[in-house]
Amino acid sequence: MFKSYHKLLVATTLFAMLGTSVVCAADKTVSRTYENGKKVIDGGMTYPVYKGKTASYYMNEKAHGGAVNFGRKPTLDEIKAWDIDVMPDGTGLPEGEGSVEEGDEIYEAKCASCHFDFGSGGSGYPALQQGNAYEGQKTLTNQRINPDDDGPQRNFGSYWPQASTLWWYIQTGMPHPAPMSLSDDETYALVAYTLSINEIQIDGEELDDEYVLNREKFLKIVMPNKDGFEPKIDGPNGLENARKYYDNPKNFGGNKERCMKNCFDGDPVVARIQGVGISEYSPPISIKREKPMPKEGSKAEHPGKKAYTASCAVCHTTDAMGAPAVGDKQAWEAALKKGLDKVKHNAIYGINGMPPKGGTTLSDDKVSEIVDYMIEASK
Amino acid sequence: MNKAVTVSQEDEVLSEIQEQSGRRKFFKKTAAYSMSALAASSVLMPVKIKAEKHHGQGDPAILEEQVWGTTFGYPVTHNLYGLPSPYESNVTRRTTELLSSGNMYASIAVSPIHELSGIITPNGLFFNRCHGGTAEIDYNKHRLMIHGLVEKPLVLTMDELKRYPSVSRIHFIECPANGGPEWRNPQFPSIQFAKGFMSCAEWTGVYIKDILKDLGLKPEAKWMLAEGMDNSHMGRTVPIDKVLDDAMIVWGQNGEALRPEQGYPIRLLLPGWEGNLMVKWLGRLEFASEPFYAKEETAKYTALKPSGKAIQHFYANEVNSVITSPCPEKPWSDLKKGDVVEIEGLAWSGMGTIKGVDISLDGGKNWKEASLKGLVLPQAWTRFSFIYKYEGKALFLSSRARDDAGYVQPSVKQERDAVGVEGVYHRNGIHTWEVTANGEVKNVQILS
Ligand code: HEC
Ligand code: HEC
Repeated sequence: MFKSYHKLLVATTLFAMLGTSVVCAADKTVSRTYENGKKVIDGGMTYPVYKGKTASYYMNEKAHGGAVNFGRKPTLDEIKAWDIDVMPDGTGLPEGEGSVEEGDEIYEAKCASCHFDFGSGGSGYPALQQGNAYEGQKTLTNQRINPDDDGPQRNFGSYWPQASTLWWYIQTGMPHPAPMSLSDDETYALVAYTLSINEIQIDGEELDDEYVLNREKFLKIVMPNKDGFEPKIDGPNGLENARKYYDNPKNFGGNKERCMKNCFDGDPVVARIQGVGISEYSPPISIKREKPMPKEGSKAEHPGKKAYTASCAVCHTTDAMGAPAVGDKQAWEAALKKGLDKVKHNAIYGINGMPPKGGTTLSDDKVSEIVDYMIEASK
Repeated sequence: MNKAVTVSQEDEVLSEIQEQSGRRKFFKKTAAYSMSALAASSVLMPVKIKAEKHHGQGDPAILEEQVWGTTFGYPVTHNLYGLPSPYESNVTRRTTELLSSGNMYASIAVSPIHELSGIITPNGLFFNRCHGGTAEIDYNKHRLMIHGLVEKPLVLTMDELKRYPSVSRIHFIECPANGGPEWRNPQFPSIQFAKGFMSCAEWTGVYIKDILKDLGLKPEAKWMLAEGMDNSHMGRTVPIDKVLDDAMIVWGQNGEALRPEQGYPIRLLLPGWEGNLMVKWLGRLEFASEPFYAKEETAKYTALKPSGKAIQHFYANEVNSVITSPCPEKPWSDLKKGDVVEIEGLAWSGMGTIKGVDISLDGGKNWKEASLKGLVLPQAWTRFSFIYKYEGKALFLSSRARDDAGYVQPSVKQERDAVGVEGVYHRNGIHTWEVTANGEVKNVQILS
């Protein structure tokens, strides 16, 4: 028994060794390592150029020798104008300042219409806080196995590893309808406000209304979930850590087993869609081959329609945010009781949840034209 | 047909053209007469004539003349940029409010993969994920800037960029959240929504390494920021290894310019990696010694594990597959017992090339090898096929792909045991369709 088992083992090992060496020697068209001898960083394969081909693709090797050069050197001002990222070590973070209270005011004017009061989120818009960030961070081990389990809280305060990401994102991505419109000081104020609603402390200090955030203080922020991510990509070993991480299937749930027969006991355990599931699609599913009906009486498009769709429809499609919905005859009649001039004035200078010009930098005339369209489309 | 006759007919045509000026007068004179004669004899009544000729039993689609066979089609001046037949209008991208952040500017339109053939997705059906709407960039005002840890920073117009020697490659692009809403349970009674966050095209552009040869990458350059010029200014950090291997800047998609939805005029292409990394409307590449920590590589596109740690910089989409026929949209309700039918599907791996696909009829308990068909290319959709004799009984149909890196798709159970259910991204557990006894197809998961 022992002997034959031993034999079998030897035979399979030998076979396995043979198998790999044969593959390595014969196949120069695919490799686990780059030309520099390092393993492929994502755990997969690379296809070196071999006999004028990479994988199935022929290539003109002379075309890739680096002899072709076009373009010019950008000016320093050009680089400055485009270099908008902000890195964890403060690279790219300008000087400036803003208080929590100022942030609160800007938030009300430019952000609350989508992110709701205190960044609570809703209607699909992301929450900017879910209470104390340090407590929230502790929920990250939560797994929703049963229907009423609480999930992990993945918002800015509890999840993001770096505050620099928030500064960068708010200044270059928000407010969503008008990115790149906030000043450095406004961004500091909004970041201060976002930190305060997440109850994040800087240097042990809570951020009350009077707290003024500036560059120096910003660089002291340590996010609660700073160490919550793998592989570790910072510092001189960052790339090697990633390479090692993806070389081990256990780290990311990779499987190398191929079972062919009786792969589990008994009948399959089946999970089915609950109810109708998510089945409201636009357009509804159909595989019929049918010609769509021609659109009825297509008129020339109102000149304000395109800009309306691009800049105002986010808030004005429904009355969910308190805006008069386009198409809602009564709402617009009510608004117009103030007189057309006043309504246009409010659109240009803002009122309550209506940001000035909807948060855009359109001209007064353009906004006025859009308002004409909105009224026209609501008759 | 006899060749001599054809030639003589051609001669006739030629001489006719030569005589045209003379004949035009004749046509003019007789125009009134010939028009009315034509109208009376054929234009008004072709269907009737034919119908009289061929009565009897059979398919009216065969027995009756159709309007397209008895009248002119569109002149060549019609739709100079061609469109699909209006009868294909249901073959389209689709959206659902549940896959959007508040509104349709940060959302996804998914691809009807059940209607596609081969491995190429037509440009109008390629899935579209964006974070601030589909930008419509003026080609003439767009620039690509490369700076940071390079000896010589560079700025290129689009015409200049296209002067570099081009390469064309077929690769899929997959949103790493493809299948992501179904970590905890199946949700979509539809393949388009369950697996349609992906498409595959032939891309044309330049290798970034070719441009870099002249710029002098500094040795401390380890990471590259790629940034878009759209509303979201989306940035992502790419490790230098990929940049120097096969990363491309592409402007061509299936033989024409990129569609705006795909980042016109240019996007980054990182074969096999997360779609989100392949920044659209690309404007800036910056090289640095440390990673950048953009919003879409920290807040999102990170995969939380039960340990509470999240995988960041999760690059390649792992080996995956799905049966596209049958599927909920394309059921077997028209089949009769004994019909021989093809089970067909798509397999793909961001880590390499598909090596094979197995099919199970019993939800993954026992497997048989399917055939691959058509082109088998790295990081590209690969078709598989399995011939089955329909028995009119209920089945659990599953597919399981494997790649040349040695990876095999895990079962749903194996995947959950390994990484939990809160990962959102990179779900590649085996997909199963339940085929009911009457041929309907339902989206299920096998937890054994
Ligand atoms: C018109 C609606 C709208 C307005 C106004 C708006 N946002 Fe947003 N915000 C969004 C949407 C939508 C997203 C998600 C974008 C995505 O998915 O890429 C978002 C995302 C964010 C995020 C990232 C949240 C996360 O956890 O990923 C932050 C932070 C943010 N907004 C801050 C702000 C601030 C500050 C303002 C005001 C200056 C603002 N937003 C105004 C719609 C809006
Ligand atoms: C961030 C959401 C938002 C955006 C974007 C937005 N609006 Fe509004 N708008 C509102 C809200 C909320 C109100 C209701 C204000 C009130 O009366 O309390 C409103 C009201 C208005 C009114 C009625 C004013 C009155 O006097 O009653 C007009 C006109 C208007 N908006 C025009 C526009 C135009 C034009 C744009 C695009 C350029 C736009 N809005 C974009 C939220 C928005």
